[in-house]
Amino acid sequence: MDRLTGLLLLRWRLEWRGLRAAPERGLGLLVLLPLLTIASLASAVAVFVGARVVEHSRPELMLPAASALATLIGVFWALSPLITGLAAGETHDLTRVLQFPIPLPTLVVSSLLANLVQPLVVVRLPMLLALALALAASAWRLPAALLGVSLSFAVMLAADHLAGLAIQGMARNRRWRDVLLFVGLGLGLLVSTLPFLIFASGGRAVGTTLRFFVRGDGFALSPFAWGVRAAIHAGRGELAPCLGQLALGSGAVLSAIGLAVWATARLYRGELDIGGPGSAKGTRARMLLPGRVGALVEKDLRTAWRDPALRASLLTGLVGPLLFLFLVSQMPGVGGSPGGLLLIASIAGVTGLGGAAFALERRALPLLLGLPLPRFQLLVAKNLASLGLRTPGLAMFLLVALLLAPLSMLPAVATALAASALVALGLDNYLSILFPVVAPGVGRSPYSGSAAGARGLGAALVALGSLAAAVAISAPFVFLAWLPVPLGRPALWLVSLPLGLAGAAAVYGMLVAGAAGLLSRREPELLARVLSEE
Amino acid sequence: MSDAAIVASALTKDFRGRRAVDAIDLSVGRGRFFGFLGPNGAGKSTTIKMLTGLMRPTSGHATIEGISVEAEPLRVKERIGVLPEELPLYERLTGEEYLQFVGRMYGLSRAETRSRSDELLEFLSLADERGKLVVDYSLGMKKKLALASALIHNPHVLFLDEPLNGIDPISGRVVSDLLRRLAQKGVTLFFTSHVLDLVERLCDEVAVIDRGRIVAQGTLDEIRAQRAVGRDASLEDVFLKLVAADVRREDLSWIG
Repeated sequence: MDRLTGLLLLRWRLEWRGLRAAPERGLGLLVLLPLLTIASLASAVAVFVGARVVEHSRPELMLPAASALATLIGVFWALSPLITGLAAGETHDLTRVLQFPIPLPTLVVSSLLANLVQPLVVVRLPMLLALALALAASAWRLPAALLGVSLSFAVMLAADHLAGLAIQGMARNRRWRDVLLFVGLGLGLLVSTLPFLIFASGGRAVGTTLRFFVRGDGFALSPFAWGVRAAIHAGRGELAPCLGQLALGSGAVLSAIGLAVWATARLYRGELDIGGPGSAKGTRARMLLPGRVGALVEKDLRTAWRDPALRASLLTGLVGPLLFLFLVSQMPGVGGSPGGLLLIASIAGVTGLGGAAFALERRALPLLLGLPLPRFQLLVAKNLASLGLRTPGLAMFLLVALLLAPLSMLPAVATALAASALVALGLDNYLSILFPVVAPGVGRSPYSGSAAGARGLGAALVALGSLAAAVAISAPFVFLAWLPVPLGRPALWLVSLPLGLAGAAAVYGMLVAGAAGLLSRREPELLARVLSEE
Repeated sequence: MSDAAIVASALTKDFRGRRAVDAIDLSVGRGRFFGFLGPNGAGKSTTIKMLTGLMRPTSGHATIEGISVEAEPLRVKERIGVLPEELPLYERLTGEEYLQFVGRMYGLSRAETRSRSDELLEFLSLADERGKLVVDYSLGMKKKLALASALIHNPHVLFLDEPLNGIDPISGRVVSDLLRRLAQKGVTLFFTSHVLDLVERLCDEVAVIDRGRIVAQGTLDEIRAQRAVGRDASLEDVFLKLVAADVRREDLSWIG
């Protein structure tokens, strides 16, 4: 018992310390808790009213609709450890306590209980009660309805627990950890852009899909739905189907818990490691780009592509222009006009500001700054790598521009984009030197909370100022790209576009030269801030 | 040109009011194998960072081969090789890619970089692992790779912070023999280690730092004479006496 309480306290203490260590998360929780409580109560009322209305007006829809909802929530809940990355964190890592003489049952129970008593679980309890109350036509049917609803919830929790354990096991292998991180970030991105995708189609596609499944009662086979279906039958006084669904639901819970116990036992016996780090055999290394700058750019591109989080961020860069396309499609006349398009291109270009030239280096920055590389070259290489990483996103933007404007506008849009991106990258060097991103501590995951390394409110204000400066400085070059449009003389582009690009390149050169001088003077301070050694 | 390869004059570093390195003076001759010893937190790594231009001293100054570290950091970095304690490596490059990258950064040609990295990988028994990502290397392999990268440009001065920590005994012997040969060829080695037997075997001269201050410097015989310890006293005995370590002798009450 002492061990069980010790393990539970350890888990909750680690979670609490994690919040305390990152003040912004603690503050977020302070805001979140009252909001969660209010949302929980409001959802409970909505669930109660919704269930009552459907049960009275369209009772034939109740079973399929409730099954669909329970399945959607269940799937999302089971995937949440992957999306949030929580399961791979040290707090949930059972293997850290395996060297102690803890009996397997204690480990299993502590892991289950610790997952059960969580704020996000507790806030759902009013909703469960409300649903059971709405479904039970009389007081004596309430216990059975409550049992059914609770069974569905238990299946969700058990599935979540099982997914967490599976992720833990897989994450012990570096390659699988990378895959999980990439997939988790991809899913997170998908979930966060889901509302836009639904709105973009006017909700029609989702509605059609849901109607198809609801009509056919396609979710009747979902284990997440069996408990809720039992509750509905209980509320209607249909004893036999209720008992049948209860038996299925109980079986689902027991199976999920059984699988979780099996997974824990495999972790316990050290059997969940999946293969080694991979074969060392392979082709000879070949750094293709020429010169020091080329080698530095290639290094950044290779490391970024092999880092799952950075690779996922490349995908994010592709989604941005698509969202932009959606927004513009909602505002007729704005995106299609040449002036509006050039303005948007200019804004897309200056988003390079904030790329943080040295952020990719993390704790390897002393290695980079220990190299006898002229600082001008170093900054140019960093900027080129940053531009390289943003190229897919910018190319997607140009593709979208092609859909909105005539083909003849494309060179002008590309020039506006390139000119503003050059100016933004030049300015970003100053931010990277004066307000660097703090590297995560030794041995800490680069994806842990502190890895984000806030640049601070002052830096945010400076960044806003720099953004305004980037827009202002690049304005003359964007103007050169735009000028032939009101004059109605497209031939002028032959002069104005190269002129605009050359001007932006000259400004970029001056900015980098200044930043290189600043870097030479402030290298030790930069290192001290990045490595938190002040 | 100065005869000293490494000079530190009144080198001081404060961290938020706490003095980590307190006005140390050092002079290491060319081609010397110099051991820099001290307990954990004594200021060894901070001193190395200041000597290699990676940390600005609060006061004092340092030169490498007569070149000011603060005034001409790039010239200094061309001449030195550093194996830091933290091993800042690019983990998503393969071992071979990493060496090729570092070689190119030191301005070596592609062909030269390739031939030197091949030789280094072979020499340090990493040739079979050349295609593996660094993130998948063991600590010892990472250490060997970092050492290879510190050697690839033929440095005049080598700063090695715990170079043999985590390396297997066979590679350890290969590396220590190599370091000895480098010193014989005129490379200056600035070496920290907690393995005092090794320091005693390799180093011509040592300095002991404790709580930011140099408490002894010279050859082992000179230090023995300064501290009035017997001629047969080992470096460990001298070290413990110098840092006034309180070595507990009693047993834990519940053991046995």
